[in-house]
Formats: sequence, C-alpha cells, structure tokens
Amino acid sequence: MSDVAAGELVIETDGLTKRYGDVVAIDHLSLHVPKGGVFGFLGPNGSGKTTTMGVLLGLVQRTSGEARIFGDPVGHAATLRRIGAMVETPTFYPYLSGRANLRYFQGIGHRGTAADIDRLLDLVDLGKRADSKFATYSLGMKQRLGIACALLGDPELVFLDEPTNGLDPAGVVEVRELIRDLGRGGRTIVLSSHLLAETELVCDHVAVLSRGKLIVQGAMKELLHAKDSFWLGTTDDAAALTLLSAVPAVEHVVASDGELVVTAPPARAAEVTRALAEAGIYVTKLVPIRHTLESFFMEITETDPTTGRGLT
Amino acid sequence: MIGTVANLARWEWFKLRRRWMLWILLAFAILFGQLAVWGSFFSYQNLVSTGGELTVPASLQSQQGRPPRTVSCNDLLSGDPARQPSDLDPSVVDGLRAQCRQQLATQPQRLQRAYENVTLPGSIPLALGTLQTLGLILIAVLTASAIGIDYGAGTLRSVLVQGTGRWPYLGAKLVTLVVLAGLALLAATATIAISSSVAERLVTAPAAASSATWSAAGVAIWKAWLSLIPYITLTAFVTVLARSSAAGMAIGLGYYFAEQILVALLSNFFSWFTTVADYLPVHSIAAWTGGSGFGAPAAPADLAHAGFVLVGYTLALGALAFWTFHRRDVQGATGGG
Repeated sequence: MSDVAAGELVIETDGLTKRYGDVVAIDHLSLHVPKGGVFGFLGPNGSGKTTTMGVLLGLVQRTSGEARIFGDPVGHAATLRRIGAMVETPTFYPYLSGRANLRYFQGIGHRGTAADIDRLLDLVDLGKRADSKFATYSLGMKQRLGIACALLGDPELVFLDEPTNGLDPAGVVEVRELIRDLGRGGRTIVLSSHLLAETELVCDHVAVLSRGKLIVQGAMKELLHAKDSFWLGTTDDAAALTLLSAVPAVEHVVASDGELVVTAPPARAAEVTRALAEAGIYVTKLVPIRHTLESFFMEITETDPTTGRGLT
Repeated sequence: MIGTVANLARWEWFKLRRRWMLWILLAFAILFGQLAVWGSFFSYQNLVSTGGELTVPASLQSQQGRPPRTVSCNDLLSGDPARQPSDLDPSVVDGLRAQCRQQLATQPQRLQRAYENVTLPGSIPLALGTLQTLGLILIAVLTASAIGIDYGAGTLRSVLVQGTGRWPYLGAKLVTLVVLAGLALLAATATIAISSSVAERLVTAPAAASSATWSAAGVAIWKAWLSLIPYITLTAFVTVLARSSAAGMAIGLGYYFAEQILVALLSNFFSWFTTVADYLPVHSIAAWTGGSGFGAPAAPADLAHAGFVLVGYTLALGALAFWTFHRRDVQGATGGG
C-alpha cells in the first residue's frame, strides 16, 4: 500500500475512458486530485461525474486508461477501506433503522467503533431518528445518513455526490460547513455537484467535465482570476480601445454597451491607467468584473450547469 | 479470505434475521413438517380402528346413483350384522370382504410401517420427504430475496465501496444461505421430533418390532440439506443475471415445475428423454433424496449418478453466478427488493 506524501496526488487518472456501446461516458480523462482540501468535481447532468466516481470506486469497469488512488490501481479492498463514499442517491436497507444500517456498513468494512456511530448520527443531526426505519426517512434525512455512512472509519478520502440534494436551506448551509470542516486537516473531499454557487464556497480545487471530457482543472482561485477583467470608462473610448490593444498587460479589450471590457490581471491595472494617462486619455470609471464559478463554467462549457443544455 | 467471508456472513445474518420473510418461511417449513407427522398419526389411528379401508368401486356407486364411499375391513370381518353395509349389494360386500382377508395377511407390516411414520426415528425421513418440495420453493424465495435486495434497493453500491470485495460478498451470502438452510432443517426436524414424541404417547405400538434407525434419519437430514444447495446456486445465478429478486423467485420457482412437466411430457413421446432427465437438476434432486429412506429407494448407482449431477450443477451455476457478479458494472437501485 502506497502512502501519499504532502503535496502529492491522491487521485490520478490517465486517459481514462469508459464506453457503453457507442456512447462514450468518459473520454480520455486525465484527472489530478491533490491531497487535502475540497476538490470540486463539476459538470452538468450526464457529463460523466458519477461514472468517473464509479470507476474510481471499483463499481464500474473502465474500458481503457489508468486510474490510481493513493498511488495504487483502483478497486483494491485495502484502498477502498481508506475511502468513504456517497454516490448518487444514498442507498440503505429500508427495513433497518438508520443506526442498524450504519452498524452493518461499519461491520462489513471494519470501520471504527460503535461509539463512532452515535457521534456521526449527532454530527448529521439524525440522533433523534436514528432508530426509525430508513424507509420512513425524508430525502434530506437519507442524504444526511449517506454522509454519516461515508464518514465511517474516518476515511482519508471522501467522495460526496450531490450531498445537498433534498436538504432545506438550513441543511444546505450545515452540510456546506461540514464539508469545509472535513476538508481541513489533511483529508481530501471530492465533491460532485451541479450547484456551482455552493461549490464555489467550499472548494479549493475544481475539475470541470462536459460530455465526458475534462474541460479544465486547477485551483479555484487561479481559474476564476485567470480571466480577471474590469469595466473601463474613459474620456475617449475609441482611442483607448486602439491604445490598450497594444499594451502588454492587457490580454483582451472589447467595446461593450458604451464601455470597454478589459481583460488584464488586477495587479497590472496601474500599467493600464498609466498608458492611458500618458496618451491624454483619462479614466472616468474602473469597475472590477467578478467572475463566479457559474459564469466561468458557462463560459468554458457553453452549457447550462443544471440542465446540461447548450447555451444559445 | 475465510476471515473476510466469515465476517460478511455474520453481518448477512444481522440483516436477514431482521426480515419478517425469514421467519415466515421457517414457520411454513415447520408447519409442513407438522402436517406430515400429524397426517401420519391420523393415518395410523385410522388403520388401527378400521383395519384398513376399502373404496367401493366408483362405477358401482354411480350406477346406483350413490356418492363415493369407503368401508372398514374391521366392520366387514367382524361378523356383526349391525356393522355390515346394508346399502351394498351382497356380492359386492363379499368381494370387499375377500380383499380385506387378503389385506389382513399384511396388516402387521402395514401397521408397523404406519407406526414408524408417526414415531421417532422413522417420522423424520417421512416428514423431510414431505418437506422436500416445499423446501426447494422456500430456499428459492429466500435466496432470491437475500441477493436481489441489493439490486432492488441499490445497496450493492454502498456495500462494495466499503472494500468488501465482490467474491467474498457473494460467497458470504451463499454460505449464510446454505447454513440457514441447514439450521432450518434442524429446527423443522426438532419440532418433528417433539410432535412425534407426543404422538407416540397417544398411540398403541403394534406387535412387530420397528426397523427404523437413527442413522437413516441422520442420512435423511444430511441428504435433504445437500439437495438444497444446487437450488441455492441456481436461484443465485438467475437473480444475479437478472439483477432482480422478483425474476430470481419467478425463474427459480418456475423452473422447478417446468422441468417436471417437461420430463413427464417428453418422456412419454421420446423414450430417450428419460436418459436426458437423469441429467436435469430437479430430477436428480428427487433421485438423490429418494435414496434417503423416504419415497422409492434409489439404487446406489442412481444415487451416485444423481450426486455427481448435482455437484456439477452446483459448481457450474455457482461459477456463473460469481463470474457475472464480478464482471458486471454496478448500477443504482432497480426498485423492488
């Protein structure tokens, strides 16, 4: 069993491909998940997120390519015991109580002690309904039990697939805080979601999938700031447009709605204003444009993050 | 590996014992065992009190517009005019009386056999023989349900991500089912034994000595248990293949009856089909258990042949179930349970 040193990757795939007949669910995916923190695994419905998780967890056979977790090929029992997972809808035995279900999964996986069950049930706020049958749980309660189950045995790597599905707004906030806490202290959380606003608040790194292909991956801050831009108003926009096109700090400049949209690193904004001033053009307005994960996602995938439909 | 399977089997039992189905199936098994014992009890009592009953030929009865009826040999041979059937033609009564005299010669042996079926240890092979058909049906239902629930509820995914391994998980399920089948047989046998002890106190023993042995009873239990294993693997394979407990039950139960109908039908048309039937699982189960002391005893050669056929089916179906279970991608819940 390999151990992953700090700064190394806990998940690494190379050319990972999964086909169902003619349908390509994952297309030569090369994913790199660093150790520690929360890794957002994003994509519209049907983009291949759950299939990728299935391959990584040994549930789905890959067609080709390589996939390693903690440096070992996926599917090893010993590797899986270091992982907690909630994939798609949480599934438990309907005739068993929440507590009995956790006892069962703890028992078969040799994950922790009996005391952990009470602690986890309290953590996900299911203590009072722990002895009710799973079949009687609401969707939100099932989701919470799924999270508790994924945390059995204090795993080093946790896969959470759409963990806030069915939760009320207060529950969403609680789970968001929980995920953020879990991502601290060396544990790695892989969070799959199409709720980009939620993901943006908790993730340190993200990978974006679309139609089975990896579109982009990296640190959240770097990706969102890569195309930092600002609205610019000047005393002579036409002259400023021509001038800024030649300024090295400016990656892109375009006229829009009577103003200029300038793409440039914020740290080099001074170079922009200096160049304009030297040419006798004065800035009347400079407003940074903040990129959200949602806008970034729509820009790079050209799809709606929820429906997966193309933007027209 | 053995430790992993043992742990998984322990937790399989944790799940199964919380299902009503298990206890309902066990209750059915015990009930059928009891029916066999008490059915034999009343049969013996009837034989003692009537000396055997003869059915008046139905054609005669219908000619005279009378319903079917039986007459008691004790009444016919008593010589008491009050106990003679007054509604029958004297020539018919004479014929029936002659049959009763013939039967009288074998009455001690018939009484002895009937007594053995009521009392220990002879009641065990007889009751297990009655239980055999139901046992196959019950174990098919339990197997399909125990394996199929993971597909229906989608829990297979949750189980496998715990690092249990596919082979150990299915292996543990099969081991648990085989052990439970054995324990259910022992439970049914225990209740049969208790009822037989009670019944023994309620009947008068015949003069002839009993030939039933405890070793024959032990062999009957052993063979009944082994005969369930091929059916467990058959149902397991079908359930894994169809990813559904409902399909597992339907095909598992349907096959039991389908094979017998097919054999009965085709054996009448083609004589060579009886040879083919010797290689079919349900036919082989019947041949295997038939040699255990109940039903028609099978010759040792037939017994060995049936045993080899059943071992072959167990290995082949088990291997197919494991291979399919190992190779398949695991999907979400399919519904049902």
